[in-house]
Formats: sequence, C-alpha cells, structure tokens
Amino acid sequence: MTDDDTFDLHLRLLDRQVVDPDGGMICKVDDVELEPADDGGFVVTALLSGPLALGPRLPGRLGRWTVALARRWAEEPHPAPRRIPFERVTELGSAVVVDRSRDDLRIARLEDWVRIHVIERIPGSRHESE
Amino acid sequence: MKRILSVFLGVLTAIGGFVDIGDLVANALAGARFGLSLVWVTLLGVVGICLFAEMSGRVAAVTHRGTFDLIRERLGPRTGLLNLVASLLVTVLTFTAEIGGVALALELATSVNYLLFVPVVGFAVWLVIWRMKFSALENVFGLLGLALVVFAVALWQLGPDWGEFLHSIVAPRKPATEDLSTYLYYGVALFGAALTPYEVFFFSSGAVEERWTTKDIVTSRVNVFLGFPLGGLLSVAIAGCAAIVLMPKGIEVETLGQVGLPVAVAVGKLGLAVAILGFVAATFGAALETGLSTGYSMAQYFGWQWGKFVKPRQAARFHVVVLLALIAAVAGVLTTADPIKVTEYSIVFSAVALPLTYFPILVVANDPVYMGEHVNGRLSNVLGTLFLVIIGIVAVAAIPLMLITAAGQ
Repeated sequence: MTDDDTFDLHLRLLDRQVVDPDGGMICKVDDVELEPADDGGFVVTALLSGPLALGPRLPGRLGRWTVALARRWAEEPHPAPRRIPFERVTELGSAVVVDRSRDDLRIARLEDWVRIHVIERIPGSRHESE
Repeated sequence: MKRILSVFLGVLTAIGGFVDIGDLVANALAGARFGLSLVWVTLLGVVGICLFAEMSGRVAAVTHRGTFDLIRERLGPRTGLLNLVASLLVTVLTFTAEIGGVALALELATSVNYLLFVPVVGFAVWLVIWRMKFSALENVFGLLGLALVVFAVALWQLGPDWGEFLHSIVAPRKPATEDLSTYLYYGVALFGAALTPYEVFFFSSGAVEERWTTKDIVTSRVNVFLGFPLGGLLSVAIAGCAAIVLMPKGIEVETLGQVGLPVAVAVGKLGLAVAILGFVAATFGAALETGLSTGYSMAQYFGWQWGKFVKPRQAARFHVVVLLALIAAVAGVLTTADPIKVTEYSIVFSAVALPLTYFPILVVANDPVYMGEHVNGRLSNVLGTLFLVIIGIVAVAAIPLMLITAAGQ
C-alpha cells in the first residue's frame, strides 16, 4: 500500500473469508483492529472474528443480544473477539490467507463444541465420503 | 477422451437435475389450466437460470468462493444477514416440498400412505449427504432423473399438431375463462420454479466442492448452456402433456398422480413406472441439493468450514445446520400439510427472494479486481441487467398477485 494508493478496507478486507495455507476455512474477517500510524493514517494490526466482533456490526437489539450471549457463554473473565495478528497474513486475494492451520488457531468454540458433542458421536464422522 | 466423457456426464446431470418438485407441479398445473399459453415463461426462466448459473460458476471457478461468501462480502453483514434469513426460509420450505415429493412418488408406486415414507426418506437423505461422495451424489440422481424423458416420449405419442403446438407457444393466448391476475400468478410461479435460488447456491458451491479452476470454465458453460435448456424442454413436455390430456377434460392438478396421468394415457403402465422413477430421482436429488444448500449458505455467511470434500468432523457446524434443516423439513411434511400446496407456496416465495441472490452475483461477476480477464462481457451485462429488472418486477408482483387471486384459486 503506497501513499498515493488508498486501500478500501470495506471493499478489500472486511467480510472476506480467512483460509489456512491448505485452503481450510477458518472464519470471516468480522472486524479489524486498527492502530494509528506515524504518518497520521492507520495500520491494521489484527483480524477479529467471532460473535464479539460481528455483533457490534449488526443492527440494534440483534447486535446487542449477539454480544451479550457470546459474553455469557465465554469461559474467560474478560471475553474479547478472537484475534489473528496481521503478521500471520500471507496473501490478500479473494480470500485472506494466513500461515497457520485452523487447528493451531483454535478459533471457534462453537465448532469445537458441536464437533465433540454432536458430530463425533455419529458413526462415520471421521471418514472421507465414499 | 476423459474430458469429453466428464462434460457429457455433466450435461446429462444438468438435464436430470433441472427438474424438481416445483417444476413438476408448476408445469403440470399451468398446462392443465392454461394450455401452452404460459410456456414462454418457462423458456424465459431457462434463459435466466443459464445466464446467472454461468456467472456464478465462473465466479466460483476464478475465486473459489461460494455465492453466499460473496453476498456477505458485497452487501455487508446487515443486509447479508437479512438475505441469509430470507434465503434459508425459502430453501427450507423448498426442502420440505422435495421430501414431501419423494414420499408422494413412493405412495404412487406402492399405494402406502406417503406419511409413512417421510421419516425413511428423511433418514435416507441425511445418510446420502453424510456418506456419499459429492460427484457420485450428483451423477446418480441426475442420471436417474433422466427417466423424466418419458414425458417427451408421451408428448410424441400423443402426437399433437406440431405447427399448432409451436404457434400456441410463440403467440400465447390466455384462455378466456381465466382472469388475467390468475394467469400472471401462475406465470410468477413458473418463473420462480425455473430460477429457484438454491440452484445457484448449489451450482456455485458444487464448483468449489469439485475444485474447479479457470480451466473448467468451458466445462461449466457446456453444462449450463446444453444441460439447463434440455432440462427446460422436459418442463415444456410436462406442460404440453397436461395441456393435451388434462385441459380438455377440465382436470386440475391436485396430486402428483395427475402430473403423471398423461404418461399413463400415452405410453401405458410401463411409461408411468418410468415416470414415477423419474419423480423419485428428481425430487430426491433436489432434496439433497436443497439440504446441502442450507448448510452452504449459513457456513459461507459465517466463514465456517463447509463441504463434502472434508471429513464431517472437520465441518461440524455445517453438518449440524444440514441436520437441523432436515429435521425442520421432515417435521414440516409430518404436519400433513398438502405437499403439493407447500410446493406451490415455495416457488412463489422463491420468486420473491430471487433478487437477493441474483443481484450480488451480477455485481461480483463485474468486479475486474476479482475476476481479471474472466470479468463479465458486455452481452452478459446487458442481459443480466435486463433480467434483474424482470426479476425485480416479478418479486414485487408475487405477493400482491397471491393475495388478489387467493393463491390461484
């Protein structure tokens, strides 16, 4: 991103799919973390995801309830959106590619919960389709 | 050679896959009441689905992203969410209609009440989604759906005056006994049946499932431009059969049996057996497609892992969504609401939801940063915009027409 070239965050980063190097889908860029830069602009320091990042972007009551539910359900005392530091990003294309696999990032608690409590209890969940 | 074979297979599956319970019911209904005077709507619908399926296939091949992924990206989380909720409601309603359709077809074959089949059908749909490979699932049900070609055979056997037949398609005349509003209402239903949104979700997500790249754009085009129009011809044959056999006798289509009746008249019992096989395959195939589409659209909006190209445990939320949609659909059929009526409503509501799906596709297919050299050409844009206008008018008119005509009574 050169000085004469503005980067449209809305159009080119927000709401994009985040994938790992093998194309595994991790999350959406629900929001971003910005910090002021020396030149008066802003730099993106992290991609944020999960209900705590998406909720504030949803309208009115729906947004507040999303955040409240996510807070209630969180295990940590001070729940925050899931965060992927921007250094992890290797490519910005039709998807945002990061350099870690989705298992390492442990990004989605709901995914883990339904996997353990529902899907893995059904026979055949560990097999490829045939 | 292998490539030609796969293209051929793709075309055959597209033919069989085009017709679902909505097309079966809408075409037979319209044929029995309005003769051939509404066939032009089906033909228009085929042009529309070709246009937008080609775009969504091309977008998926270039970007490897499914349609809902892009809907959220372009419309943002708010409008995207509204779109998601509306699309899910329509798709689950269609899913309900398809499962009811499979059960009705089995009732036709066995004379056992369709409600007894519903749980079995539901379980079978889930099992296939859970275990069967994507390409196998697409091919098996697409090919079996080709049994519906028996309607074309029946039309041939009925031997209408082809000159007159073509004339009444090209120069449509509304029957004098029917109101204009009823005529338009059935037109909206036929349009909704031809362009059902799940077809696009499924087509684009399928392209990602099969890991299409820009090299596959040609394959995609052949599938779309040969397969869908030939599938559309099956729809016309169904309407034509109903127009010739049912309309003169004043029979209105209220059951799936009446959809197949002209085949029994023209080709006999064996023909009817083939038609029933076609009903089962087409509706079962469409049940798989709608079921998967609920998972595709939800997962793509939220950025979850989806698809059958990974093990179920790697796409847990996706499979849970499909399972919940299935439970809702099965429960819907078990309320004993008439599946034919459910089908009629599902296609009209599809017509209402059309712009939500088709507008973002046109926008993304036009983005040069995204699509590079594969961006929409002028022809696609002119036709696409023109269609979007038609789709918009249909969507706005659908509900008022439904109220004025008391759902086509």
